Amino acid sequence: MPRFKKIILIKDTDTDAKTKSFYDFFLAKIREKKLEEQFQVVRAADLNIYNKGIALKIFPDDIIYVQVSEADVDDIIEKTLKKGVRIDALAFLLPQKQMRIVLRNCGVIDPEDIDDYIAQDGYQALKNILENQTPEQVIAQMKISGLRGRGGGGFPTWLKWDLTRKVSADQKFVICNGDEGDPGAYMDRSVLEGDPHSVVEGMMIAGFAAGANKGLFYIRAEYPLAIKRIQRAIDQAYEYGFLGENIFGKGFNFNVEIRLGAGAFVCGEETALIASIEGRRGYPRPRPPYPSVKGLWDKPTMINNVETLANVPIIMLKGGAWYASIGTEKSKGTKVFALTGKVRNSGLVEVPMGTTLREIVFDIGGGMLSNRKFKAVQTGGPSGGVIPEAHLDTPVEYESLQLLGSIMGSGGMIVMDEADCMVDIAKFYLGFCVDESCGKCAPCRIGGYQLLNILKKISEGKGQAGDFDKLKRIALGMKKASLCGLGQTACNPVLSTMNFFIDEYRAHVVDKKCPAHKCTGLFKYSIVQEKCKRCGMCFRNCPVGAISGDKQKGYVIDPSKCIQCGRCFEVCKFGAVTR
Amino acid sequence: MTKPTKDLNQIKRDAQKDKGDWIKVGMSTCGIAAGAEEVYNALIEERDKRNLDLKIQKCGCAGMCFAEPLVEVNVKGAQRVLYGQVDVPTAIKIIDKHVTGKMLLNDHVFEIREE
Repeated sequence: MPRFKKIILIKDTDTDAKTKSFYDFFLAKIREKKLEEQFQVVRAADLNIYNKGIALKIFPDDIIYVQVSEADVDDIIEKTLKKGVRIDALAFLLPQKQMRIVLRNCGVIDPEDIDDYIAQDGYQALKNILENQTPEQVIAQMKISGLRGRGGGGFPTWLKWDLTRKVSADQKFVICNGDEGDPGAYMDRSVLEGDPHSVVEGMMIAGFAAGANKGLFYIRAEYPLAIKRIQRAIDQAYEYGFLGENIFGKGFNFNVEIRLGAGAFVCGEETALIASIEGRRGYPRPRPPYPSVKGLWDKPTMINNVETLANVPIIMLKGGAWYASIGTEKSKGTKVFALTGKVRNSGLVEVPMGTTLREIVFDIGGGMLSNRKFKAVQTGGPSGGVIPEAHLDTPVEYESLQLLGSIMGSGGMIVMDEADCMVDIAKFYLGFCVDESCGKCAPCRIGGYQLLNILKKISEGKGQAGDFDKLKRIALGMKKASLCGLGQTACNPVLSTMNFFIDEYRAHVVDKKCPAHKCTGLFKYSIVQEKCKRCGMCFRNCPVGAISGDKQKGYVIDPSKCIQCGRCFEVCKFGAVTR
Repeated sequence: MTKPTKDLNQIKRDAQKDKGDWIKVGMSTCGIAAGAEEVYNALIEERDKRNLDLKIQKCGCAGMCFAEPLVEVNVKGAQRVLYGQVDVPTAIKIIDKHVTGKMLLNDHVFEIREE
């Protein structure tokens, strides 16, 4: 007799419409055969399987059946449930696409309780290192692991550590860059909130390797909960003696403090970040000298991203070779992405490097949110670009994404469908960078503004011949001459959308049309009286009262009041609203 | 003020002891925005009302933002289950049906974690 009932999870993986009726049918069969004492049938909310008809998952046997019809039910009950025999014709092997390394503790441990972290081997890596290893050995392990900076640049982590270690100074710093600012990206926030101790431990290991004994968390003030949890983690670590003097009795001292970012995007750039901590205006400065030589208060400073540091303890526990066995030749390990936009399952996904974009969007993300067609996926935030359907089978790596004119970035991934206009997208990202430009260097300050003006003109239908050349010329100028990463990459969304969707740009300039019906100046809603059945749906749904009339006279849209939200177009069942 | 480092193995042994029945609520910014705080409070209230021997804990974001608020339930006599899209009435149902009755809820199961 099993410890408890077997569970049969049921879900219609196409539309969810048939879940209930199939569940009722299955339950009736179970009752008919008087088996309800042994089995419980449950309607699932999600099985991570999509577009495979009715799916069944049987626990504890872990058998999955897909494309199940009512005719199969007797067989399933007699063979699988009663005798434990798998029906091969229905069986489905769910591939395990996700792999949790950075997120290993997120959602598992209580982030406000250090004991919970210790129970998951927390601070064990630090202890092993302090007891048995030299900084050189730690860096050697990191080199074997092949870990590269997860903030976007992909600089080898071991090299950064080694460069800082080799500089002799009376004081060195480690900074954790938690100034996550890309629109749609929140991986770092989740790690800071869900597993703060792993970042603290990673920072201490980094400090030990580089010879730094002072760590600073730079976290944006918009993350109050992350700040609270990191502060609590630091307090607990002091309480337990993991921070402070003579840690584990091995003579290593390390102290940590938090500094808050005041919300400037540019402060995620390392030299601007340092200026901000020093109490100056968040302006970047030319490099070299690199922070690893001359950083905070002119002392050697190592700046690592949250996700990079969260990787460190487990690499040191399991060894660099283990980590290097995951991923591709040049990009090792896993990457966390914040999958958002028009995708069914938005959220954080962690996949081994080399997983294709298609797998991330369609297998893990469950495909598109609505019935609209996939158009592109945007990676890398305002420094990245769009990747269209034709390149969806690209494996995710630093180099492959760069070849497509995008970047890995910090890990934002925004899915777009047919209703998203590429000119509008470019305008949005550029507008973001223009707002966030610090104004120190002319290419970024002036170039960004001019680019944005041209894009605005195009989206209003006032684009001219020659605009494309101008866009490209200014963009290249920004790329070459800007002082820091913000300006150098701000033009990427423009170049990348122009590269893959030039037809859409042409439609705006030549035909004065927006194919996605997003640019509000380029189309008008009106009602075709011949098709109108006078149901009044549009009239009732208009949020601004731009539709007037009644069931006798019919309805008309007043263009001066219309805000072009498209609500009437969506609700009309007779296709009488045109645009 | 510096303290001597505590014994890691001792803490680990203590922490890994059987914790009995527990419920974890995903309480990161995303979960809280979706209403996890109300769910957490409702679970505690309901537990105290019925005098159950049940630990209710907070945890971080498991990454399934579309399914927030997430509640993981581990009680003797039933599978360990991750429920999603839990509101206050569903939370009370979890106590009623899952914790007390050892039966799984319909329409909220996202994952059965293990036996």
